[in-house]
Amino acid sequence: MIMNNPSQKISIMRSKLELKPRLLWLQGLTCNANAHSFFNLPNLEQLLNKFEILYHPSLGTEYSFEKISECDMVCDVLIFEGTFDPLLKRNNILMLNILTHYAHNAKHIIGLGSCASFGGMFKASSPQRNTGLIFNESLKEGPLLHLEEKVINLSGCPIHPQWLGFTLNMIVQNRPIAVDELHRPLELYSHLAHHGCTRNEYFEWKVDSKGFGLKEGCLFYGQGCRAPMTHSSCNKILWNEVSSKTRNGTPCFGCTEPDFPRTDLFSTKTNMSIPADVPLGVSKRSYLTMVGMAKTFSIKRLEGKLIDYKKTD
Amino acid sequence: MITKKLIDQIEGEASVYFDLKDEKVDYASIAFPHFIGIENILEGKSVLDALVITPRVCGICGHAHLMACVRAIESAYKNANLPVTLSKKAEDIREFTLILEIIQNHFKWLYMTIIPQISKLSGSYQDQHPLKGAFAASLATKALAIFSGQWPHASYMIPGGITCDPTHVERLQALSHVEELITFFEKECAGIDIDSLLSFRSCKEIDALQSDIGDLEKNLALSKMHLKGFSHDNFLVLGKHDFSTQAKLKQMRVSNVDTRYIELDDAYSPDEKSYAKNATYNGMFYEVGPLSRLISSNYPLIKNMHRRFKDSTYTRVMARVFEIAVLLKQARTLVENLTLDEASFFAPSKIENLSSTGIGVVEAPRGSLIHKVIIQEGVIKKYEIITPTQWNLGSSPKNRLSPSQQAMQGQSVDDALFIFRSFDVCSVCTTH
Repeated sequence: MIMNNPSQKISIMRSKLELKPRLLWLQGLTCNANAHSFFNLPNLEQLLNKFEILYHPSLGTEYSFEKISECDMVCDVLIFEGTFDPLLKRNNILMLNILTHYAHNAKHIIGLGSCASFGGMFKASSPQRNTGLIFNESLKEGPLLHLEEKVINLSGCPIHPQWLGFTLNMIVQNRPIAVDELHRPLELYSHLAHHGCTRNEYFEWKVDSKGFGLKEGCLFYGQGCRAPMTHSSCNKILWNEVSSKTRNGTPCFGCTEPDFPRTDLFSTKTNMSIPADVPLGVSKRSYLTMVGMAKTFSIKRLEGKLIDYKKTD
Repeated sequence: MITKKLIDQIEGEASVYFDLKDEKVDYASIAFPHFIGIENILEGKSVLDALVITPRVCGICGHAHLMACVRAIESAYKNANLPVTLSKKAEDIREFTLILEIIQNHFKWLYMTIIPQISKLSGSYQDQHPLKGAFAASLATKALAIFSGQWPHASYMIPGGITCDPTHVERLQALSHVEELITFFEKECAGIDIDSLLSFRSCKEIDALQSDIGDLEKNLALSKMHLKGFSHDNFLVLGKHDFSTQAKLKQMRVSNVDTRYIELDDAYSPDEKSYAKNATYNGMFYEVGPLSRLISSNYPLIKNMHRRFKDSTYTRVMARVFEIAVLLKQARTLVENLTLDEASFFAPSKIENLSSTGIGVVEAPRGSLIHKVIIQEGVIKKYEIITPTQWNLGSSPKNRLSPSQQAMQGQSVDDALFIFRSFDVCSVCTTH
């Protein structure tokens, strides 16, 4: 009998679960990569055990999506993955209505990935109408703008699992999370992707990479690397605990920034052979003075190969 | 009367509409209601940008998209009579990372989708550990990311090779993660060492295992899945790899394949707008994926299962599980024997000068994946992606059923929903 009343059912269950924060994971237009990236988190189980998970798209959870879409319960932490498309329906109900209901009642809202933060890759699907939750690229525009003080953006295509792990753990501990003007946690996004790159010495001495597929050289000058202009901790908290794009010779594409995806991603835009964009906060003049000086040196160690396998193998 | 079922706990979301007769499926149609439009996004962009954009079709098999994309661009170079040289090192590393992505996919499907569903269906209440799937997948992606830089969404394969230049330090680190994953598989999943499992010849040997896989096999049998879910018994493997054999099998008659015979048409979904397309070969539906790969490669256990239970759901599910073992062994061999004394990358001629067409075909977790590109002076004129789910999960009128529609025919709704999931549904790939 009692089970027929949904609110009573919830209260019984909540007492059993010692009032853990209720987490709900909703999706806009998405490729699911943030969900899959998050599955790589070490100690995932311990973190998930700190929450009562109402619904997650890939994990068997307390409620079905059909039940969630009835909007007769509330959550404490709302995760939204994917671009917001005002016309998107799930279970034949406008996602806007589901999102607004849960967002209104949630204490914290996490815009997960660059799509939910700024529109991202899938904004291009319908560029006139798709946005992030509170930003349309870097313009303040989106369905949850009136609730912006609750929104934390975790940009990245996809997010690093530990960025979400950090945010959820801070929430569990009731600690405030300081954010930048794009609502991204400062502790994760005040670094640049450049910090900790194994090619830093080549950047310092302005030694360009001679091409792809090499350990040696910096990718900033020819290969399009955006790491000195991109807020992220990719080279501080390594991907999959082992590496990063730039360490492995792939340029940073700037996927945590509102203008992702840019174009011509594998080459550096230049004006008169000078990079069009210089490292963040550095004046072009200072940068050019620095380059001019560094280029006068010839450093043999940085010009040759670090290891020649033809001689050593 | 039409009964609608919303399918979640798959990649994305799908709806299946059942027309029932005497409580059995008389006809099922499938709708994928969400659309991204990646192909339109690609038009007008530099073709190298496709190496960043196409992996973002899918969060679980983006690496396969990357490899199909790089193969398509390399094929365009060759079609323009411009040479592309690939070192064996680059080819082996590409293959290694592709294999590990398939492995992570299968582990997640096993623990997050199939075991929970068979547990419900069979009433056996088999222990459920969805996060075992996540843990195993995280080990696989760790080994993968050593070479690709990250997973998901790496772009480390480029025309002419790969961007990384690993040392033996990285190679041995990758090997140790693969070995750890093999140990996990043997202890936590199979209950037997991998070589013994690979030498199995009969279902009885699997049935005897006291393990997650043994329990799965017993519950499939308990649910009579060896007598349900038969499809057309047509199999297709289009991708060229060491771990599979390209072939078309029509009721086990083997013939060669030619991608010119592949066609796409709009899916038929009378009850809901669907953005899906159906992929056919010479006008006929074929099943793609692990079962097709293992049958075309003549694995004795899978051939035996197929002889006894045809392309039932039992055979389809067990093939996908068995493929984990096949691929783990292949991954270990690749990384053990990897030589590092060759170049990672040979620069092909300037992309700005390339005007040509190309096709890239790979085996993705769910089966054959095709990228086609038309390039004019380095810019994409047209891009077309044909995904494995467009083969398996097509939706057609009753007189011409797709593999999954055929498999659900005549079954109860609960059985049909399990059978549908046995194809490892990916809606994000279907309506890219």
